[in-house]
Amino acid sequence: MREDHELVSRAVSLQDAAAFGELVRRHQSHVRNFLRKLSGDFTAADDLAQDCFMHAWDKLHTYSGRGSFIGWLLKVAYTTFLQSKRKSKRYAEILEQVGHVTEAESRTHAMQADEVTDLDRFLAVLSEEERAVMVMSYACGLSHREISEATAMPVGTVKSVIFRGKEKIRTNFDIKDHQHG
Amino acid sequence: MTSKIINMAERLKDDEDRLLESLFASAPIADDGFSTMIEKRVRRQLWLRRMVLPVAALVGAIISFKPLAGLVTMLAGLTTLIPQDVLKVPSDVVPQLPMLFMGAMLLAMCMLGLRALQE
Repeated sequence: MREDHELVSRAVSLQDAAAFGELVRRHQSHVRNFLRKLSGDFTAADDLAQDCFMHAWDKLHTYSGRGSFIGWLLKVAYTTFLQSKRKSKRYAEILEQVGHVTEAESRTHAMQADEVTDLDRFLAVLSEEERAVMVMSYACGLSHREISEATAMPVGTVKSVIFRGKEKIRTNFDIKDHQHG
Repeated sequence: MTSKIINMAERLKDDEDRLLESLFASAPIADDGFSTMIEKRVRRQLWLRRMVLPVAALVGAIISFKPLAGLVTMLAGLTTLIPQDVLKVPSDVVPQLPMLFMGAMLLAMCMLGLRALQE
């Protein structure tokens, strides 16, 4: 089986869509899980994952080969998530000005209320930044250095964000009573 | 004694980390055609990129055909004047230049338009 680095160089130098497809097959689960945990909305997360992979295809030549490919991919995913958040915030502000609530928005809220898991409760007490860092660390298994590269934060800040996140979870829940979900 | 405390603290931290890992863990998401869909989008994008230049060149050629043909006719007429008037440019060539410039601008706009469509 080819290494990620090999597939990346094939995709970049030969514009090989099949090589990129193989990379998507390998990492789609991680990226989609990451975005689902960040956004809390499965459908929106999958749309974002599509955008993320298309951005990754456009920016693939910027992957230097230092660090893991999944770390680089999650950086693209996080950037895509933040961009979309900024856009939807602007859109929501416009709608708010004209006194509208979108149908999609109300549907999302309804879905979220129905399917709240323990993990959703944990994630809810965290800030967006803490959530991203904690998910990268505990769900995706990225090292502090990789998270630092993905979020453009110094390693020390990543450590303190994780510490703060754990502290919040600890003070709000007795995590030993919870099972994963 | 101190090292025992540090070891215990590390073990506690590790236990907590392991617990958090299990809490954050989730089942792998089935591909269900996701990667095939991305691959298709990538192929379509590649195809569009490959088409941009030839299509733009074709459009540019169609637009600039008339002025170019005029210019060629003019140049062909000039050959009869060589060598006496080889350094002289007839004033009729100059009016063709705005058309050529417009053709080039349209070519560039077509390329940008196709790029925008592709995006």
